[in-house]
Amino acid sequence: MRKSVESNTFRTFGWDGLIQILLIGNSIVMLAPIVIMVFSAFKTNAQIFQSPFSIPDFTNVKSILRVWNETDFLLYMGNSLIVTGASIALILILGTMAAYAIARYEFRGSGLILLFFLAGLTLPLKLAIIPLFIQMRDFGLIDSRLSLIFIYVATGLPTTVFIMTGFIRSLPNELEDAARMDGANEARIMWSIMLPLVRPAMVIAAIQNVVPIWNDFFFPLIFIQNNNLKTLPQGLTTFMGEFGTDWGVLFSGLTLSALPIIILYIALSRQFINGMTAGAIK
Amino acid sequence: MKRLLLGAAIACTSLLSATATFATELSFWTWRQEDKAEYEKFFADFTKANPDITIKFEAFEATNYNTVLSTALAGGKGPDLMMTRTYGGIESLAGAGYLMPLDDNKIPAVKGFSGAALASVTMRSNKTLYAVPAASQTMLVIYNTEIFQKNGITEPKSWDEFIAACEKLKAAGIMPFANGTATAWQNETIVSALTSSIMGKAFYADLMAGKTDFNDKRYVEALTKLKEISKYFPEGFVGLDYASAQQLFTSGMAGMFAGGSFELANFAKQNPALKMGVFAAPGLKAEDEKLVGLFFDSGFGANAKPKDEAAAIKFLNYAASKEFAQAFANRLSNVSAVPGVTFDSPLLAKVAELNKNSIAYMTLVNFRYGEPTGSNLIQAGVSKLLNGQATPADVGKSMTDGLAAWYAPFKK
Amino acid sequence: MISSQLTGRRLWIAALVVPPIAFMCLFLVYPILSAFAYAFYEWHGLARGDFIWFDNFHRVLFEFPFSERTINAFKHNIFVFFALMVLQNGLGFILAYCLWRELWGARFHRIAVFLPVVLSTVIVGLLWKLFYHPLFGAVNATLRAVGLGSLAQPWLGQDSTALTAIVVANAWHMVGFPTLVFLAGMQRIPSEILDAVRMETESEWVKMSKIVWPLVAPSATVVFTLLFVGAFNWFELPFIMGGVDGSPHGATDVLGLYFYRTAFGSTSASAENFGPGSALAVLIFLFIAVVSSVITIRLRKREIQL
Repeated sequence: MRKSVESNTFRTFGWDGLIQILLIGNSIVMLAPIVIMVFSAFKTNAQIFQSPFSIPDFTNVKSILRVWNETDFLLYMGNSLIVTGASIALILILGTMAAYAIARYEFRGSGLILLFFLAGLTLPLKLAIIPLFIQMRDFGLIDSRLSLIFIYVATGLPTTVFIMTGFIRSLPNELEDAARMDGANEARIMWSIMLPLVRPAMVIAAIQNVVPIWNDFFFPLIFIQNNNLKTLPQGLTTFMGEFGTDWGVLFSGLTLSALPIIILYIALSRQFINGMTAGAIK
Repeated sequence: MKRLLLGAAIACTSLLSATATFATELSFWTWRQEDKAEYEKFFADFTKANPDITIKFEAFEATNYNTVLSTALAGGKGPDLMMTRTYGGIESLAGAGYLMPLDDNKIPAVKGFSGAALASVTMRSNKTLYAVPAASQTMLVIYNTEIFQKNGITEPKSWDEFIAACEKLKAAGIMPFANGTATAWQNETIVSALTSSIMGKAFYADLMAGKTDFNDKRYVEALTKLKEISKYFPEGFVGLDYASAQQLFTSGMAGMFAGGSFELANFAKQNPALKMGVFAAPGLKAEDEKLVGLFFDSGFGANAKPKDEAAAIKFLNYAASKEFAQAFANRLSNVSAVPGVTFDSPLLAKVAELNKNSIAYMTLVNFRYGEPTGSNLIQAGVSKLLNGQATPADVGKSMTDGLAAWYAPFKK
Repeated sequence: MISSQLTGRRLWIAALVVPPIAFMCLFLVYPILSAFAYAFYEWHGLARGDFIWFDNFHRVLFEFPFSERTINAFKHNIFVFFALMVLQNGLGFILAYCLWRELWGARFHRIAVFLPVVLSTVIVGLLWKLFYHPLFGAVNATLRAVGLGSLAQPWLGQDSTALTAIVVANAWHMVGFPTLVFLAGMQRIPSEILDAVRMETESEWVKMSKIVWPLVAPSATVVFTLLFVGAFNWFELPFIMGGVDGSPHGATDVLGLYFYRTAFGSTSASAENFGPGSALAVLIFLFIAVVSSVITIRLRKREIQL
């Protein structure tokens, strides 16, 4: 009996050791490219080419300053903030409106409306880029941030409605009924009683949308031509072409663009993971 | 009622525009964002001579320019004046009726232009001119004069000398060529830059006359020599992208760059201290004529329905004038298409000199009018050749067979 | 009174649902429906010409040179799908299992594996492009450092390695996603079931294949379907790493790139071609819709049987 327990612990121990090694190895592979990227931002060309893995002198911020001062980095960052912020705000407002109506009221066609939004989950809008392009031209929205915002709202709504409907349905009826007895109107019930309760779901929905919108490259590529309106991912490709000669600057540019979202992620990793996998986990 | 109002509105606006002729503002579009300041000076000069016309400059990114321009023109919101692409690029606009047809009545100066220049902005089907040719580009070899001097190398006169120069640089620890072919179109530029002299004028004439195709042994020989000299490209050059290749040259790590004259301004900007020279890659023997590849990359055109037709034509005449061309050449480093222009920059003067012995950059000039384009085929073919997956003869055959899909002389 | 209340309620519901629906219709449904219609017209630049029935479809499927490119790109998408199935979803399942054991440091490893997922594809593509650089890249530098310099290659320049190199970058970028979806699935397995199994057998393999795998099947269905859609919509990473022409000589060309190039042209090689471009979009769309529904239905059925 004792023997079997012993062999069992040994087995588990060996098995766990193997797992631990695999996990550590994987984490190294995951983090090494990011570490090399950050290190290289503090190196000269010669240092990058000769000793790509060495720890740099972190006081050498020449490349980073060049990105900051000589490129339109801040401009691109500002555009990304405007476009992402406006899109998320609109998505949350419109998504919550639709989800609230579907979840809290019984009316004919509510199932159909939910289905309509769910169908939107599977539509790859990229493939409709030709008509979208012609439509935006007719609206006079080529080379305008609004074209991006409208597209992001349309693509972000389905998942948001999906997440919010599920959450709002799970809220209890008591508070709402009590308020209705007191004669509060529907708008008031929604605004001051229900909405404060759905905040956690809004955070999930916001994160789920922030990452793809902040990172999107395809739609700006088609709709934005004016340098002053470019978003960060698009600006980054322009910038990589211009500074093709200086790898320190290239890595600095990549580091500076990646850093905000990396820091945000490390601070809010649980919310990020929950948010980004929310559509895939029931 | 509505119609009446509309009619009144139209009447009013046409009245307004009729009375407002003393200050017509024409819009001008181009993809050369970096040239804004100079263009505004040209336009100011033009307005000085024609006080009733002002011109507004607007630039769009080069990669999107075609899409932006054709979108705007199709929507009736195009510019009055514009820089046009050439060859297949201008035909898609002209064919749709967006451009004003021109002739030597409207612009007498075009009579003096070279046939090759005019052909670049002429639609083949109706033989009509749709723009004033602006600038040419030359495919040649750019070299670092300091590296050449230090290693005692002079511009090669024969293929053997060319190879010997490469060997010498290699032995000295310098990359002979900076070229890389990971960016698709770089596979096409090197063919014209390095082997135009080997193909020869006779081959090009026969090709145009429909007497031969790309299976011709002169063309196959050219590709064979290209493969041979690619030995002197950087290690792993098939994975080297365009920006990296430019970097190797401007940083002085490589002695030569085979490419277009459009690189010169860019290289000088990247490294102002760089001393450059240009030469035409030699033929097999020293007595073979040294040829560069030539194409015209832009023209000045007008909208088919400009705000003010007379004013637009006035501007095109200005664009075809030697006075403008001289400034266009010296201040913007263009090899202007206007005949008789002289160059302040010795490098550009040399390019213009080399242009006198040239054949067309043919995959672009003659074979971009249908699918698959000659450019598609040669880019894929040369990439395979340099990766060791096709022989020169295979590439010639794939080009001939591919082009036969739309190019009548190759159809069997 | 009641009726006015009713219309008031109706108006209120309408006020809530109409704006979002309008947005969806205008910027999602309408463009997609138009995309279907556009494929049946001839195009001159951006101007629509005659209705030409199935000519555009015929061109992209059966006429040279379009047909050749369609087949070439399609094959690459299939390769990408299966390669990512192994590298991304397979590895993701193993990693999820490892994380599920909740060993010391699991929280750190969980954060690490998901970190690349939040980065933009553009950053990932540009970063790996620098790593794969034939002369100065970190990949070749690593090989040389460990004495395997002879294995150094122009990774993105030869057709034997280019597509795989991009797939590896994609797997690095996204492996955290299936990992954490699988992990969530595993964490939902009731502990009673696991205890019961532990009484029966000591074999991890039996536990894994008989209990864990079937019970995370719903997660697997979602992950497989998303991978399928992603693999056949693949655009950003090959665009940045291989270029719009799918260098070298079309070895990294995939349907997404080919569609983009056909529709909008490529400055260095060809003009825009909206007709065949629209037809391609419709074909890709139908293919993804049909196959992903079949996958979902098939896999769901299996879940129920178990």
